[in-house]
Amino acid sequence: MQDRLHILEDLNMLYIRQMALSLEDTELQRKLDHEIRMREGACKLLAACSQREQALEATKSLLVCNSRILSYMGELQRRKEAQVLGKTSRRPSDSGPPAERSPCRGQVCISDLRIPLMWKDTEYFKNKGDLHRWAVFLLLQLGEHIQDTEMILVDRTLTDISFQSNVLFAEAGPDFELRLELYGACVEEEGALTGGPKRLATKLSSSLGRSSGRRVRASLDSAGGSGSSPILLPTPAVGGPRYHILAHTTLTLAAVQDGFRTHDLTLASHEENPAWLPLYGSVCCRLAAQPLCMTQPTASGTLRVQQAGEMQNWAQVHGVLKGTNLFCYRQPEDADTGEEPLLTIAVNKETRVRAGELDQALGRPFTLSISNQYGDDEVTHTLQTESREALQSWMEALWQLFFDMSQWKQCCDEIMKIETPAPRKPPQALAKQGSLYHEMAIEPLDDIAAVTDILTQREGARLETPPPWLAIFTDQPALPNPCSPASVAPALAWTHPLPWGRPRTFSLDAVPPDHSPRARSVAPLPPQQSPRTRGLCSKGQPRTWLQSPV
Amino acid sequence: MSYIPGQPVTAVVVSALAQAPPRLGLTPPRRAGNGHPKQQRVEIHKLRQGENLILGFSIGGGIDQDPSQNPFSEDKTDKGIYVTRVSEGGPAEIAGLQIGDKIMQVNGWDMTMVTHDQARKRLTKRSEEVVRLLVTRQSLQKAVQQSMLS
Repeated sequence: MQDRLHILEDLNMLYIRQMALSLEDTELQRKLDHEIRMREGACKLLAACSQREQALEATKSLLVCNSRILSYMGELQRRKEAQVLGKTSRRPSDSGPPAERSPCRGQVCISDLRIPLMWKDTEYFKNKGDLHRWAVFLLLQLGEHIQDTEMILVDRTLTDISFQSNVLFAEAGPDFELRLELYGACVEEEGALTGGPKRLATKLSSSLGRSSGRRVRASLDSAGGSGSSPILLPTPAVGGPRYHILAHTTLTLAAVQDGFRTHDLTLASHEENPAWLPLYGSVCCRLAAQPLCMTQPTASGTLRVQQAGEMQNWAQVHGVLKGTNLFCYRQPEDADTGEEPLLTIAVNKETRVRAGELDQALGRPFTLSISNQYGDDEVTHTLQTESREALQSWMEALWQLFFDMSQWKQCCDEIMKIETPAPRKPPQALAKQGSLYHEMAIEPLDDIAAVTDILTQREGARLETPPPWLAIFTDQPALPNPCSPASVAPALAWTHPLPWGRPRTFSLDAVPPDHSPRARSVAPLPPQQSPRTRGLCSKGQPRTWLQSPV
Repeated sequence: MSYIPGQPVTAVVVSALAQAPPRLGLTPPRRAGNGHPKQQRVEIHKLRQGENLILGFSIGGGIDQDPSQNPFSEDKTDKGIYVTRVSEGGPAEIAGLQIGDKIMQVNGWDMTMVTHDQARKRLTKRSEEVVRLLVTRQSLQKAVQQSMLS
C-alpha cells in the first residue's frame, strides 16, 4: 500500500511539473519546484527529528508546503484552461466593447491577530496534574499565495492566542478573499513535565491519568492524513503530531479598516477531536490595504495652472497625481526632494473633472478643470496641458483613479500604514548540540530539593539511589564559554522536554546570573518568544537579596 | 581570652575578638591558611522577648535570591544563608556567631539549598529554645576585607 502511494505521489509530481513546463510559466514553475523541495526536506526532517517541538515545526512546514503545492496546482489548471480557451475561441471582432477597466493592485496586510479562548471548568480539566498543551498556527491564503504565522504553544493559562507576526500580501485586487485557517495539534505530555515540584512528583509517582490515557488512545486510533487529499500528497506515516483544522473564516474588502476589528470564526472541530480548543468564536485583527494608486504616482507632467483669481496669470508647474491629491511643484525635482508643492488640489470621490471647453474662447486649448466643494463654496482649478495627447493621458489617469477609488472604497480615504514584516527567523532545523547548560531551562519553581523531599516523604526508602538527572551535576564539563557560537539555543529551549523532567542548574559562569535562554544564545530570539515564556513561568529572575532578622 | 588546651594556635587568633564562652563539642579547626573556611558549631539559646523567641541576628541569602548582592560570600554564585548582622549583646553574639558566617545546618537541617523564607522558618521555630548551628567562617582578615568593601 505504501509503495502504491509513493508511485501515485511521484506520478502526481511528474504531472504537475509537466504542466508547469508546458505553460512555460517560469515563475510559477520555479515556485512549485521550490515547494516540492521544501516538502521533501520537511518529510526527511520529520522522520529524523526526535524532539517534540521540532516535530511540530516540521509537520507545520509540511502542511504549509502541501497547501502551497495544491494552490499552485490549482492556479496552473486555471491558466492551462484559459490558455486552451483562448486558443480555440477567438473573439469575433477585435473592436469589441472597450477593454474593461481593471482596478489597480494593492498590498494587503493583516497584523495583530488575536483569538480569544473560553476555558471552562469541565471534566477535561479536573485532572490537575496535567497541563494540556496545544500547538497552533494560522494559515492565510489570498489567491494563490499562502503564508503562515509562527507556531504558538497554548495551555490553559492563556486567555487568547496572540500572533505577533504580520503577514503581507502583495498584488491583491479589491475583490480579494483572504482565507484564514486555524490549525491545532495536541501536544502529548507523556515525557515532558511542567510546573512546580508537586506536579513533578505527582507525575513521577503516578501513572498516566484517565483523560491523558484516553487522549493517547484517541491519537493512536485516529486515521492518518494531514487533512488535505492524502492520496495526492501522502504524508509520511510517522507517529508524529497531527494538525487538525480548528476554525476558518474569509475576509474581504469590507473588513478592511485602519484599526482593530473583530470578525466571526467558523468553528470546524468538535470536542471529540483530540486537538479541540475552546475557542470563543471570533478573531481580532487589523486588516489594512494600500492600493497602489495611493502610494505610487499615477501620472505626472508639465501643466499650466491658473492662479486663483487671476485670469491671465498662468504658472507653469510640474504636476504629480498621487493618491487623492494633485501636487503641483515648481520644479520636477521638487517632487523627489520633498519640497512643499506650490499648490495641492484634492482629487477625491467628490471631485468633478471636466475636459474644459471653458477657456476655448481665450484661445487656450487642452484645458481641464477640477472642481471641489468646500462647504458652500465650489473651488475650480483650471489646468492647461501641453498637447491633445497630454490632455488625453491626464484624463485617462484621472478616470482610472476614480475607478480605483470606487473599487477600493474605504482604502482610498487615507493611506493606511503597513509595516513591512520583519523577516522571521526560521525555526532551527536541528538544535545545535552546544553546551548542555545553554539548553537547560532554569526555573525557580523546579526546586530539586523540594521534589526529593516530597518523593522521599511519599515513597520512604524507595528512593535511595539518586535520581538519574542528578548525574549531570557530577559529570559537569569545564565552564562553558558563554560566547560559543554553538550555543544557539533552539527557539523553544524554554520548553525543552527531557525524559527526566526539567532539572535546575546553578549558574556556573562567574558572570551575574541571567538565566533567561534569551541571554545565552548568540542570535537574539525574535520577540515573539516572550509571551510564551511568560505564560509558563510565574516568577521573574531574583533581583533581591533580602535580609531578615531572626 | 581563654586558651583551650589542645587547640592549635590559630584558634586563639580567631577567638581573640569574640567574647565567646568555651564552646562545647567544638570540632578541631583545620590548619587554616588564608581564606580556608572553618567549620564552627554555635549553640544559641533563644531569648524571650514578649511573645517571640529571638536569636539576635539577621540572615541574608537563599536559592530564590540574587547571590551577586551578597557582600560576605567569596563566590558570588553562592546561594547559601549568611549572617548579615549580629545585634549587640544578643544571644547570637553571646554564642559566638559572627557577621559573615555562612550557616550550613540548623539543628541538623541543611541550610545550603533553601529559600530565604524556609531558612527563616527553620531558625524561628517556636517549639525550639536552643538552636545548634553549623557555620563556616572565612579567615578573619578576609571577613574584615569583605565587610569593608561592601
